[in-house]
Amino acid sequence: MNKLGTIIGFTFKNKVKTKSFLITTLILALLITIGMNVPYIIKLVQGDNASKAEQIGILYGTQPVIAAELEKYAAQSGNKDYTFVKYEGTAPDQAKKDLEDGKIEGYLSFDGGGEAFPAVTFTGGEDGMGQGLSSFLTLALQTVKTTVIAKDALSAEQIAALNEPVKLDTVRMNAEGQTEAGGDTQREDMQKAMNYVVVYVLMILFFSSNMMTGNMIAAEVTSEKSSRIMEILITSVSPLAQMFGKVIGIFLVGIVQIAVFGVVVGANLMLPHNQDILQGYSLSISDINLSVLLYGLLFYIFGYFLYAVLYAAIGSIVSRTEDLGQAVMPITMLGLASFYIGIFSISASGSMLIKVTSFIPFTAPTAMLVRIGMGTVPTWQILISLVLLLVSILFFGWLSAKIYRTGVLMYGKRPSIKELRKAMKAYKI
Amino acid sequence: MEPLKLVNVVKQYGDKTAVNQISLEVGRGEIYGLLGANGAGKTTTMRMVLGLIYPDGGEILYNGKPYHAELQQVMGYLPEERGLYPKIKVSEQIVYLARLRGMSPQDADKSLRYWLERFDVPEYYDKRIEELSKGNQQKMGFIAAIVHKPQIVILDEAFSGLDPVNVELLKATVKELRDQGTSILFSTHRMEHVEELCQRITILHKSNTVVQGKITDIKSRYPREEVLLHTTGDVSGLDVIPGVTAVERIERGYHIRIAAPETAQAILEKAMQESTVERFEIKEPTLNQIFIQEVGDSHE
Repeated sequence: MNKLGTIIGFTFKNKVKTKSFLITTLILALLITIGMNVPYIIKLVQGDNASKAEQIGILYGTQPVIAAELEKYAAQSGNKDYTFVKYEGTAPDQAKKDLEDGKIEGYLSFDGGGEAFPAVTFTGGEDGMGQGLSSFLTLALQTVKTTVIAKDALSAEQIAALNEPVKLDTVRMNAEGQTEAGGDTQREDMQKAMNYVVVYVLMILFFSSNMMTGNMIAAEVTSEKSSRIMEILITSVSPLAQMFGKVIGIFLVGIVQIAVFGVVVGANLMLPHNQDILQGYSLSISDINLSVLLYGLLFYIFGYFLYAVLYAAIGSIVSRTEDLGQAVMPITMLGLASFYIGIFSISASGSMLIKVTSFIPFTAPTAMLVRIGMGTVPTWQILISLVLLLVSILFFGWLSAKIYRTGVLMYGKRPSIKELRKAMKAYKI
Repeated sequence: MEPLKLVNVVKQYGDKTAVNQISLEVGRGEIYGLLGANGAGKTTTMRMVLGLIYPDGGEILYNGKPYHAELQQVMGYLPEERGLYPKIKVSEQIVYLARLRGMSPQDADKSLRYWLERFDVPEYYDKRIEELSKGNQQKMGFIAAIVHKPQIVILDEAFSGLDPVNVELLKATVKELRDQGTSILFSTHRMEHVEELCQRITILHKSNTVVQGKITDIKSRYPREEVLLHTTGDVSGLDVIPGVTAVERIERGYHIRIAAPETAQAILEKAMQESTVERFEIKEPTLNQIFIQEVGDSHE
């Protein structure tokens, strides 16, 4: 046990001190800082421009009524991003000129006429019509259409009621047959959004730190093997202690790196201008679902160890660092599969694929996380998945230690499965 | 009870026998020489002693007991390819290795400083291994092997690649360890080191033990076939003495090869008649000659 601590300490201290680690961490922290401040920087560059409403021209032409209603709507809606500008007549000459000069974003013209509502055409600049403008215009035209067609047949209240969006509440029934009332839907939506963020971040974290630390472990083992220091190590400590010391040591390195990034993200969020932006998306830290976070971390750690021991085993059967990339391929693929199953299923957390993969130890860390975060999972299923994961860590840890013990002394060509099996029988770990 | 004893140890790789029925014992305070050409099975034997690989047959006993985990604390090993981390400071990695062998950090540091001082290179304490020359890296490897005061030390080609000054330094250290009671198993293909350091040796050839025993016993088993003769003047007709197979004129006399020991007396008489003898020696075969005779002949 004492020796395990010595190995963890040595691995950790020497990895953290390496230039490559320091530089990577610094660069990534810098990128995060820049990335988080991009919205603010854009705002600064745009300056007052952004706060000024975009102008949309209307060719009054044949439909003065509709045009007037549109202007009335814009005034009533309280939307300060867009305003309408009136162009007299039907000829678009003046509007075209203004569009070219950049005075307006585009202009609306009306075709046909008569009883029914006319077709509307939006002529925009090179940028076309943005998402925001599109939804604004659609809503405006819809409202105006209702008003124009209904005319005096409906009261103002009735028209307002017509324009009110349909309310759709969701109630979920859990496995015990009880329904969970929607309750404060506003708050639940927030939590759902926050869960989404948490699940997403945890999956990316799991994948990237798994790949990074996993390759670190494999490279460490291979270099120890090729420098023959392994022969001394293996005569000093049991391979099991050696392997787990390395895995835990590098795990701590990964944690430190994540902590550094966490502090950087936190510090950036604390900046007053970013605080505003966060509130703009109406997300707040207090909406984080603790159980999702806790389960997420648990699966994260378990998943890390499962992959890490395999990386160590692979590292031990390769003699030269050059051959490593090819050898770790299968595990990298496994990691990729696990990541993409999670990412693609995040909006379909009830699919058969994700139900099955949430019990397979290699994919469980992401698949089960999606199920916990995005849907409801009975606790017993989570526990079964965790137990399966734990059992497979023990099994693969034991197997990897055996491969490790055997592999580190095999040089030259990569050993075949048969050779490995034969040699493994000979060693106690 | 011998600290280290091998009884009919066999190791096979596939259908190839790497070590065939080797038996030897290393006593307390003894340097045991393991000789052999490249690929003779020296390193395999050492790895089995270290517990790195397991024998397929026979047994290895340490103070009468088979391999057990506590041995990790009392064994020291210098592999043929110096096993050290290239990018880590000497002090850090040697203290680390010593701690893995059960030393406290303080003792390990003290011991390391002692040895650096001993080798006259205290300034290496803060150097990284890759900054050192090959010979000095080897010295650090040697320190790593003995820093924890082991009872059994395995040195694989400890002196190869060192300059004569450092070879003497390491030899003196090895002798000192021997005098303190350490059992040392030592492999080399440089015979002069063996003659100076070892009492008992084993010569391996193609996995088999071909010569084994005390060096003096081994030498007496081989006929003395060389005579060294220094005289003031010329001695004629040495080549017609019966039993003389070859005569070579050298700087101050003759180098004569003979078929039987009795011939030597005839040579001496002849030389005394014709000139004044300054030196007369019936040379015992060097280990080098024995080695070449046993191993070299069958080189195909």
